[in-house]
Amino acid sequence: MIRATIGGGLVILALVFISLVVGNTEIDHNPLNWFGGVNDQGDQDLEILTLSRIPRTIALILAGISLSVAGLIMQMLVRNKFVEPATTGTVEWASLGLLLCLIFAPGLSVIIKMVVACLFALFGTGLFMLLLQRIDIRSDAIVPLVGLIYAAVIGAAIAFVADQAELMQSIWVWIQGDFSMVLQGRYELLWFAGCLGVVAYITADQFTLAGLGKNMSENLGLNYTLVFIWGILLVSVISGITVATVGVIPFLGLVVPNLVSLIVGDNLRYALPWVAVTGAALILLCDIVARLITFPYEIPIGTIMGVIGSLLFLYLLLRSEPHGQS
Amino acid sequence: MIKNSWLVVCSVMTFLIWGQQAYGQDETRSVSIEHAQGKLSLSETPSRVVTFDLASLDTLDALNVNVLALPTKSVHDRLAKYSGKPYVNAGSLFEPDYETVAALEPDLVIVATRSSPSFKMLNSIAPTIDLSVWGEGFIEQFKDRSSTLAKIFARQSLYEKRLKGIEHKIAQVRSFSKDAGKALIILTNGGKISAYGPGSRFGWLHYELGFSSVLTSDDPEQASNIGTHGDPVSFEFIHEANPAWLFVVDRDAAVGSARGAARALLDNPIIKRTQAYQSGQIVYLNPMNWYVIAAGLNAVDESVTEVLEALQKSVSQK
Amino acid sequence: MDNLELNDVRLINSGSSKRLRTYFASPPGRLAAAVAIAVLSVLLFLTLNVKAGWEFTLMFRGKKLLTLLAVAFAISVASLLFQTLTQNRILTPAIMGFDSLYMLIQTTMVFLLGSFAFSDFNVYGKWLIEVSVMTGSLCSLYLFVLYRQQQSLFVLVLVGVILGVFFHSLSALLQRMMNPTEFTVLQDALFASFNAADSHLLILSGIMIAITCLFCFRMHAVLDTVALGQPIATNLGISYKPFLLLTLALISVLVSVATALVGPVTFFGLLVVNLAYYLAGTSRHRYLIPMSVTIGVICLVAGEVILQHGFSFNTRLSILIEFIGGLFFLILVLNRRFA
Repeated sequence: MIRATIGGGLVILALVFISLVVGNTEIDHNPLNWFGGVNDQGDQDLEILTLSRIPRTIALILAGISLSVAGLIMQMLVRNKFVEPATTGTVEWASLGLLLCLIFAPGLSVIIKMVVACLFALFGTGLFMLLLQRIDIRSDAIVPLVGLIYAAVIGAAIAFVADQAELMQSIWVWIQGDFSMVLQGRYELLWFAGCLGVVAYITADQFTLAGLGKNMSENLGLNYTLVFIWGILLVSVISGITVATVGVIPFLGLVVPNLVSLIVGDNLRYALPWVAVTGAALILLCDIVARLITFPYEIPIGTIMGVIGSLLFLYLLLRSEPHGQS
Repeated sequence: MIKNSWLVVCSVMTFLIWGQQAYGQDETRSVSIEHAQGKLSLSETPSRVVTFDLASLDTLDALNVNVLALPTKSVHDRLAKYSGKPYVNAGSLFEPDYETVAALEPDLVIVATRSSPSFKMLNSIAPTIDLSVWGEGFIEQFKDRSSTLAKIFARQSLYEKRLKGIEHKIAQVRSFSKDAGKALIILTNGGKISAYGPGSRFGWLHYELGFSSVLTSDDPEQASNIGTHGDPVSFEFIHEANPAWLFVVDRDAAVGSARGAARALLDNPIIKRTQAYQSGQIVYLNPMNWYVIAAGLNAVDESVTEVLEALQKSVSQK
Repeated sequence: MDNLELNDVRLINSGSSKRLRTYFASPPGRLAAAVAIAVLSVLLFLTLNVKAGWEFTLMFRGKKLLTLLAVAFAISVASLLFQTLTQNRILTPAIMGFDSLYMLIQTTMVFLLGSFAFSDFNVYGKWLIEVSVMTGSLCSLYLFVLYRQQQSLFVLVLVGVILGVFFHSLSALLQRMMNPTEFTVLQDALFASFNAADSHLLILSGIMIAITCLFCFRMHAVLDTVALGQPIATNLGISYKPFLLLTLALISVLVSVATALVGPVTFFGLLVVNLAYYLAGTSRHRYLIPMSVTIGVICLVAGEVILQHGFSFNTRLSILIEFIGGLFFLILVLNRRFA
C-alpha cells in the first residue's frame, strides 16, 4: 500500500515536471536555475512558468480530478459503471447553453456564461435521470446506450442551432477540450470545480449508501432524494465549469473510476483519492502528448482523449461483459 | 440534352437581341475565356449574371457590373447591399438553388473554390465559369480572374486603373516591409488561435507584400509546409516566435458573430512580451476581406491599403 | 401488435355501410392509404411551384426524387430488419456508428488526397471503396462480437456506438491537420445532400437497393418468425445463425449504399420504422416492409416539399430529420415503447 502511494506520487511528480518543461519556449531543465535570478534566462523561465506553464498544469490537475470524481459520483447514483457526464448528455447541454450565449448575448461575462452552462447541464442531467426512471433497465449496456443517444440528440439540436447562426465550425472548436489557451488569469474558475471534488470526498459515504439503491439506503436512514439531488448538482456544476473554461474532455470520468476499481476495488472513500490521482495523471499525460505530437503546434486534448478514451471504454466493456450480462 | 436545347434557345435569343441591337453597336464582341474547369466563349456581354463566388461579386461591384442573383445570406459588411432586394437569393455557397438559377435564365454563372463542386450541374443550366483562386501566386491569380471578368464585361479601362492603384500600393508596401521585421499571421476562431504560414491562404502577405515570416525552416521542403493548415498554437508559441508584426484575422467576426473577441483573447501578459505588442504592431485585419472574399478587386485593394496604412503609421511613429 | 388490429376492427365495425372504414383500418387498407399519401407527396414534389420550365424541372426534380426514393427504401428496410433481429425499437444501424465510419473514410480520403484531388477523384472508385470498406468492416464487427458474445445484442450495439465515437474522434484528429478550405470541402461531403448525388451512381445504387429490398421482402415469413426471438425461431425450424449473418450482410449493403450516396442520416431509420409499427396495425413483415418504405418516402419527399415551399429555414433536410428523429426517440423512451 505504502509502496503504491509512493509509486503513484512519483508518477504524478514526473508528469507535473514534464508538463512544466514541455512547451514552445525552452526552459532550463534544472529547476534550481528557475529561481534566484542567476541570469536573464532564469528570469524569463520563471516568468513563463508563472504565466503559462504552472497555470496550465494546475488547470489540468484540477480538471482531471474534478471530472473523474464527477464520473464516479454519476456511476454511483445511476448504479451503472458506464456513465459519466459525456455519456449522459450533461456535457452536450452545457455546450448548448454556451452556444445560445454565443448567439444571443456574446458580450456576457465568463462567469455568467458559466452559470448558464451549469444550469443547462443541471437541467439536462435531471432530464436524463427522469428518462432512466421510465425505462426498464435490463442490461448494463442499455443505460450508457440511452445516454449516448440522448447526447446525440442534443448534439443534433446544437448542429441545428449552429447551422442557423452559421457557427458550425466555431462551435466545435469552442467546445473541444483544449488547454492551449490557459494562462494566469484565465483558468481560476477551475479551482471551484476542484473544491467541489474535495467536497465530494467529504460527502463520499453518502454516495456509497445511495449507490445501494433507493430502498436499501433509506432503510439505512439516508435522505436518498437529497443526496441524489446533491450528487447531480455536483456533477452538473463540475461539467458546466470545465466545459466553459477548457471544453469537453470525453470519457475521462468513465475510464478512470473503472480502471481504479479494477485495481483497488469499489469502496468509494478508499477509491476516491486514487480516482483523483489517476484522473490527474491521465489528463496530464494526454496533454503532454497533445503538445508534442505536432510540435510546435498543438492538437486539442479533447481529440486525443476521444481516441484513447473510446478505446479504453471498448476494452472495459468487452472485458466486463461476461459478468455484466443480466 | 438540356444543354443542347439551351444552346438553341440561347442562340435564338441571341439572334433576336442581336438583331435589335445591331444597329446601335459598333462591333460584335466575342470573348473566349479559359477557366479552372474548361473554356467558354461568349459572343455577347452577359447581362444576366449569377455569381456563387463572393470575390467575383466584389470585383463586379468594383467594376459597376450588376448581378442578378447570388447567395444573399452569405454577404455582410461592405457587400451587405446585396443581401436583399432586388437581388435574388440563389441558394447557399455550397448548395445552389438550381431551379431558381434555371428560372432566371442567366447568360453567365460564376463559381469558385467553395462553390466549384457545383460547376457541372450549373454548367448544364447556363454557361458557367470557375474562377477558383488556389495555392501559390495569389496576386497573379487575382489579376487573372479579375481581368477575365473585366474582359467579359468590357470594363478593361476601369479595371486597369484600379489595378494600377493596387500595384502602386503593393510596391509601396514592399518598400517598407522588407525592413519591417518578421511577421506572423494568426486566425482566431472560437477562442482558439491558429498560425498561418507563407504556404497558407493568407500567405500572400509574405510572398506578395514582402514580409518575411517567423515560420521558417532551414529545410526548404519543410519550410513550404509550415503553417499551411492553420495549425492550432498556444500563446507561448507566439511568444517564442516573437514576431515584429502580428496580423490577426478574427474569423468569428468574419461570419458575423462577436466582434472584438480576438482583441480580448490577445490581451494577456504573454502577448505583451512580444516585440509586436511592444512596438504597437499588432494589426487586426478586416476579416471579411481576408477570410471571406479574398481575391475580389475591392477586397485586395482594401487589404493592401490596410497593411500599407499600418506600415506608414509605424514608420511615422519612429 | 396484432391486438391493435383486432381492437381497431372492433372499434370501427358495426354496420356494413362502414366497410370502407373497416378496410382502412386493416393492414392492407392502411398501407393503401399510406401509399396514396406517398404518391400525393411525390406529385406535389414534382409539380409544385415550377419556376424553370417543365423540361428542366421534371428532369432535375426527377433525379432528386430517385435519390430520395433510393435512400428511403434502403434505410427503411435496413432499419426494420435490424430492429427485427434485435427485437428492439430504439436501435438502428446508423446509431451503431455507420455514419462515423463514413466520416472517417471521407476524412481519410480528403486528408490523403487533398481537397482538389478529392473532388476530382473518380466517383466510382470512391463509391466502391466506401461501400466495400463499410460493408466489410461492419460484417467483421458483427462477426467479432457475435462469436464472442452470442446472446447479447445490447453489448454489440453499445460496442458499435462507442466504435462510432472512436471513428469520430479519429476523423476529428485528421481534420485538425487540415486547412479550412479542405474542411469546407469535407463539410460539403459529410452533410447529407439530396441534391448532390451523381446520376450514374444513382442508377447503380438504385439497382443494388432494389434487388436487396426485393430479396428482403421475399423473406417476410421468416422474418416474422425471427421477430419472436431466437429460441422460438430455432424451435420453429429456422437455422438462426446463418440467417442472422445473411440479414446482417444485407443490412450492411443497404446502409452502405445509402450512406455513400447521400451521407449520414442518423435518426431517420429510427423515425421511419417506429412510425411504421405504429401505423401498420400489424407486426407481419409482409405489411411492415412496404409500410416502412412508404413512410420513408413520405418523410423524405414531403419533408423536401415543406422545406422548399413552406419554411425559409436555412437548413438541410438531414439536420431537420436528425432533430425531429432525436426528439422522437425521447418520446419513444418516455412512453416505454421499446425493449
